[in-house]
Amino acid sequence: MTDNLINLSEFNMSDEELFAPVEQDELASERITAPRYSYWRSVFRVFFKKKINIIALALLAVLILFSYVYPAVIGYDAQVDPYINLMDGSTKHLLPADAIAKFGFNLKWILGSGASGNSTFDAIWYGSSISISLALVCAAINMFVGVVIGAVWGFSRKFDIVMTEVYNVVANVPYILLISVIVLIMSASFWSMVFALTVTGWIAIAYFIRTQVIIIRDREYNLASRCLGTPITRIATKNILPFMTSVIVTLVATEIPSYISYEVFLSYIGMGLSDMSLGKLIEAAKSAMITPGWGFEFWSPVAVASIIAVVLYVVGQNLGDASDPRTHM
Amino acid sequence: MTKYLISRILRAVFSVVLVIAVIMIMIYSFLDREAIFNADPTFQKRLNNDKDIYKQQQWEKYGYLDYINFTDYLQDEIKAGRLTAEQADAARLAVTGDLDSPETKALVDAFTEKYRAEGYDIVRLPGSYKIGTKKYSEGGAPKLYATKDIPLIQRLVSYFAGLIKIDNIHNVDDVEGERGLTFTLYDPAYGGEKFSPAIMGNGTNYRYLLYCDDTFPYIHQNLVKVHLGVSYSVTKDIDVFNTMTDAQGPQKFTTITYPSGVVENTADDIHSLRYVPDTSDQGLLNQKYFVDDYTGVTTAKSGMSQMGYSFSIGIISVILAYLLAIPLGVLMALNKDKFIDKLGTFYIVFIMAVPSLGYIFIFRAIGSSFKLPTTFDVQNPTWLMYILPVISLSLPSIANLMKWLRRYMIDQMNSDYVKFARSGGLSEGEIFSKHILKNAIIPVVHGIPGSILGALTGAIITERVYLVPGIGNVLTTAINKYDNGVIVGVALFYAVLSVTSFILGDVLMATLDPRISFTSKAR
Repeated sequence: MTDNLINLSEFNMSDEELFAPVEQDELASERITAPRYSYWRSVFRVFFKKKINIIALALLAVLILFSYVYPAVIGYDAQVDPYINLMDGSTKHLLPADAIAKFGFNLKWILGSGASGNSTFDAIWYGSSISISLALVCAAINMFVGVVIGAVWGFSRKFDIVMTEVYNVVANVPYILLISVIVLIMSASFWSMVFALTVTGWIAIAYFIRTQVIIIRDREYNLASRCLGTPITRIATKNILPFMTSVIVTLVATEIPSYISYEVFLSYIGMGLSDMSLGKLIEAAKSAMITPGWGFEFWSPVAVASIIAVVLYVVGQNLGDASDPRTHM
Repeated sequence: MTKYLISRILRAVFSVVLVIAVIMIMIYSFLDREAIFNADPTFQKRLNNDKDIYKQQQWEKYGYLDYINFTDYLQDEIKAGRLTAEQADAARLAVTGDLDSPETKALVDAFTEKYRAEGYDIVRLPGSYKIGTKKYSEGGAPKLYATKDIPLIQRLVSYFAGLIKIDNIHNVDDVEGERGLTFTLYDPAYGGEKFSPAIMGNGTNYRYLLYCDDTFPYIHQNLVKVHLGVSYSVTKDIDVFNTMTDAQGPQKFTTITYPSGVVENTADDIHSLRYVPDTSDQGLLNQKYFVDDYTGVTTAKSGMSQMGYSFSIGIISVILAYLLAIPLGVLMALNKDKFIDKLGTFYIVFIMAVPSLGYIFIFRAIGSSFKLPTTFDVQNPTWLMYILPVISLSLPSIANLMKWLRRYMIDQMNSDYVKFARSGGLSEGEIFSKHILKNAIIPVVHGIPGSILGALTGAIITERVYLVPGIGNVLTTAINKYDNGVIVGVALFYAVLSVTSFILGDVLMATLDPRISFTSKAR
């Protein structure tokens, strides 16, 4: 006990200095001293706490660098490069080791060569840029339209009746049928594919958001807020939207890889893009898959598509977890 | 509940009709209708005007438009007595309209006027001569016809009206003997001694309306036939319903007694006897085997139908998925944030993120390294060939079920009644099996009818990769070949299955969970 006693004379201060009266401040007593809280800073703090996220983010940076910067740096030309060695039969379907032996070591031959003697490595990254762009554009459009309409759908009961019937009809039109009809009418270009994937794609998201909004809409705090006279738009943006940030981010995390996967699927069944996307590459290499020794051409784009999808999924999912305020404690 | 169900079913029927309307607008109005001829060899052979006439005829046949030829019009006029055969014969179209004889001109004008008033487009194709002669080149004769697009409502009504056809004894024009139905306990196809009840018709399209045999489901019928839509380019003139449900594979030989009394070991399916006009004495074979115009038989096959293969693969994988996913999901929830949970999450992420094509090929490669058959051989079926398709199909559903069951269970674990049960002294096992699982499984149960009925629709990639002769690729093949009848038919099939499974899921959920009620008003 005696150890804790402090001898005041050690401070070398006068009594006035040591014991100055403090003015009583009514306002200061009302102030709550809590640590400063910034939502997004907390999100990133939680996000970067996990080691896997840093790895995934680094991988994502590499992937984006390769898909968008690499083709530009080497001057990849989609009209010329895929057919560059078309005439020379000895350059086709080479394994990496053979390709490097034939052309000398260069980054572009580390995945061997394809059906027309082209570099698989270059084609994959060019294709990735198309696939990623498609996925990002589609996800952006669908998420925006889906969230806005879903929010209105959840709030308005009249709109709910109409939209539920619309949903019943649209959800029952086979997706493949719709996409192929649109692609047939508008040709299989990038933007018509975006149109085909978004023209009804938003409705599933809107339906999901609607269900979430309905769950939160009638909670007590919103009831109280409404009683206090808060306008609906303010309730939607200030009371409900923050609650749904994690749901929306999680949804984005699943949506983006699903478009990449879907693009591959559509190409495989012969309804994909006309551009050399990842799906188209996989589709083109599907006959090589069966031929012994040529399987590499098939597996490399599949592997890259899978890595892109997994990385995007992991980053998105963990960002979704981090954006939930309940994890910030 | 009954009242609610009836209104649900009515709304479902309405939305199915609307779906079909949307699809019809899409394919009959928006798609390029010339495209259906891309793969038609007959069309390629036609020349000049004949090509155009052939197009119109096919479009009429496949429900695009109503087509009336000038010659048909003249025949109708003769039948109606307004015109004699000589007059009609004299009314030959000249090379161009202004060279027509006065008699022809009068008839052409009458034709034009009549159909223009009904909203038809009148088309006159001028003849084309062989170079340097006055003879028409091949297919170059002048033509006159009227066409009108069929409006959507009429197309819808006629489609749904023709969907189900019930055979009756006045179906065929010309029949030997008295029209009527006969009931027999001893099917003559088995020699008339074996007990096998059958109802046979005379005057009906099919001879056997109801019969028994030794294949599942033992009682078969030809009385009610479903017509989903006739194929044009994939399997010419065959209804897609038959394409989906007819047996495939090697021929199946049985000993049967033909109507003439001949007993033979044959692959003919005598129960499919169909009326074919004027064939009883055509050819020696018909004379040997048959006694009347019921001569059309199909070949009996021992394999399953497209739907059969798809469904058997689908249903096995659905059962497998539920059997594996429920315990695994529970295990993940029980060991939340431990190794098992992380392993399960890794698997779920893998299946969700890797393109389905990717993991199907990965498992195919793994399977083939274990010497499992990677292709489906209908001719020599073994049960081993089912393994890889079943695995490929069940992997994603296991992941999906695990993901949701884990989520629902963890949500339940934090709820107050669980804490209360624990404070009341219940054991963890009891809490999990009697409280949490019972509550968490309800949303999972909702999906069961959907996954069972969904097995009927097959799987696109799995069936392509393993060459399963299933139903999954019917729609994609039809779309690729512009087979409109099939597209509409398959879409109807899908839509009916999907709304049915949705309703069944709700009913199942409401029966299992007494708290759920669809009849009481929402708050």
